[in-house]
Amino acid sequence: MLTRLARLGPTVPRLLSNSSVRFVSQSKPTGAAGSTAVTELHPAESPGGHSEVSQYVKNPEYHGFSKDPVVDEWNMKIGFFFGISVALVIGGTFIHYLPDHGMRQWARREAERLILQREQEGLPLLEENYYDSNKIVLPSAGES
Amino acid sequence: MLKILVPTLMLLPTAWMAPKKWLWPTTLLHSLLIATASLSWLKNMSETGWTTTNSYLATDALSTPLLVLSCWLLPLMILASQNHMALEPENRQRLYICLLTSLQIFLIMAFGATEVMMFYVMFEATLIPTLILITRWGNQTERLRAGVYFLFYTLAGSLPLLVALSLLYVSTGTLSLLILQYSEPLQLSGLADEFWWLGCMLAFLVKMPLYGVHLWLPKAHVEAPIAGSMILAAVLLKLGGYGMMRMLTMLDPLTKEMSYPFIVLALWGVIMTGSICLRQTDLKSLIAYSSVSHMGLVVGGILIQTPWGFTGALILMIAHGLTSSALFCLANTNYERTHTRTMVLARGLQTVLPLMATWWFISSLANLALPPLPNLMGELMIITSLLNWSWWTIALTGAGTLITAGYSLYMFLVTQRGKLPAHLPAIEPTHSREHLLITLHLLPLLLLILKPELIWGWAA
Repeated sequence: MLTRLARLGPTVPRLLSNSSVRFVSQSKPTGAAGSTAVTELHPAESPGGHSEVSQYVKNPEYHGFSKDPVVDEWNMKIGFFFGISVALVIGGTFIHYLPDHGMRQWARREAERLILQREQEGLPLLEENYYDSNKIVLPSAGES
Repeated sequence: MLKILVPTLMLLPTAWMAPKKWLWPTTLLHSLLIATASLSWLKNMSETGWTTTNSYLATDALSTPLLVLSCWLLPLMILASQNHMALEPENRQRLYICLLTSLQIFLIMAFGATEVMMFYVMFEATLIPTLILITRWGNQTERLRAGVYFLFYTLAGSLPLLVALSLLYVSTGTLSLLILQYSEPLQLSGLADEFWWLGCMLAFLVKMPLYGVHLWLPKAHVEAPIAGSMILAAVLLKLGGYGMMRMLTMLDPLTKEMSYPFIVLALWGVIMTGSICLRQTDLKSLIAYSSVSHMGLVVGGILIQTPWGFTGALILMIAHGLTSSALFCLANTNYERTHTRTMVLARGLQTVLPLMATWWFISSLANLALPPLPNLMGELMIITSLLNWSWWTIALTGAGTLITAGYSLYMFLVTQRGKLPAHLPAIEPTHSREHLLITLHLLPLLLLILKPELIWGWAA
């Protein structure tokens, strides 16, 4: 079995052929033997699957997306362009130029304006009572 | 709201009708466009209050960051799953994408819900695709136990919530958040009301998870496929936090006393789960327990109910969502090469995959809350608000921060530094796909340093 593997070259990742996986890696007969795959209830699409051979052998420009080099390249382009150039760059620009988020800058300006105004008028910066004390209606002492 | 929801719904026919060769690029493109459009939700121009309303859905400063996070995560999940799904039959690939999409739809509706009952229904609905993901596409037999724990822990917590919400509806006549959050405080006293408080909170505490009811999380996160782990860690946990933040506005004044044991349990959980992380041999399990630890801090921040507490909790939720998902993706790149989650079997990777080591480094630094990343800002705000409540918490939170730094560095050092094990054959170089995936996690996190007010919520 191992001699068959050696035929494929020194770069064979022995474990890549494992489509049914274990917690700890164990050597398993590869798909090249046409395994009966008794542990799998649903056989994988192609038992050789992502193959005993690294994708880089067939496609040196493998990007990790697909076996088909054209789809692989397009997928890479789409992912990088729409993920970074559109979503992060254009989206980031949009977010950067959003007006006063949550009215925080307005709140700061308003506070500074009010403080200036009250200092000029000689009023305290903040009243002691949050509510107008004239509007609070308390029950009289005699009521229950 | 609908301009995001309807395209997401349309992703379902896209997944079924796209030609087989172009399935993954098409769905990736579609979901990236949705994610870009979702950034328009961040245009929050009022101090409080709801925007983008329709009869059932609305957004406000609290739900917007979480909505954008969940929309952002869908393309990332598609990117992450592409490799391990390539072996599957075509229909199963389409089904997988549909499950991810339906999860996304439920999440958008959950975070956007204006009526608490709709939030509850969507909260429960997210369980189903996640359960299917874990039990069907998980890699070990333990996935069945994980699915059971996941389902029944969450259901046991949320059934009381259904009763509590029905009671609330009967007594106040409405479950609309537009009204309830601004209504007069309910007259709450007595044991029955305390049980009602518990009923309202328990579902979210289990979901967060609170230490003590957290056992489902390590199982579910470890056994789930990468997309399952990502969505669980990044968004589904935050459903609990979001629910708590919404419900707490109605639960005063009972919260002042009743939250006490939960805050203590959460902080104790930070230390305990952090310590467990230091003893983990399984990489994914370490990251899962790290999630429990961070979420313990979030629970503490929420139950404190101060503006800083809420803000810190929201910041930490978003930052942790991105960081934790990035760590799971990194762990998955390891797993796809070595087919093992045991850390010591995949050491010294920096020598073989140096750029990946950079991503590991940045993610580990984010996990241990390095300034100026939002992780630290959130943690600091929570720790400060807890300190204000009680000086003793600093002992727990300080030790927790120390242990967090410890296990994050431990994880980095074990996986990246040291000698490459002799038994590992040639390791494939990192794919562009994997670089893109991690970059799309980390760049938003770094960009959030520049405009943190996006994730401050309505409290700061």
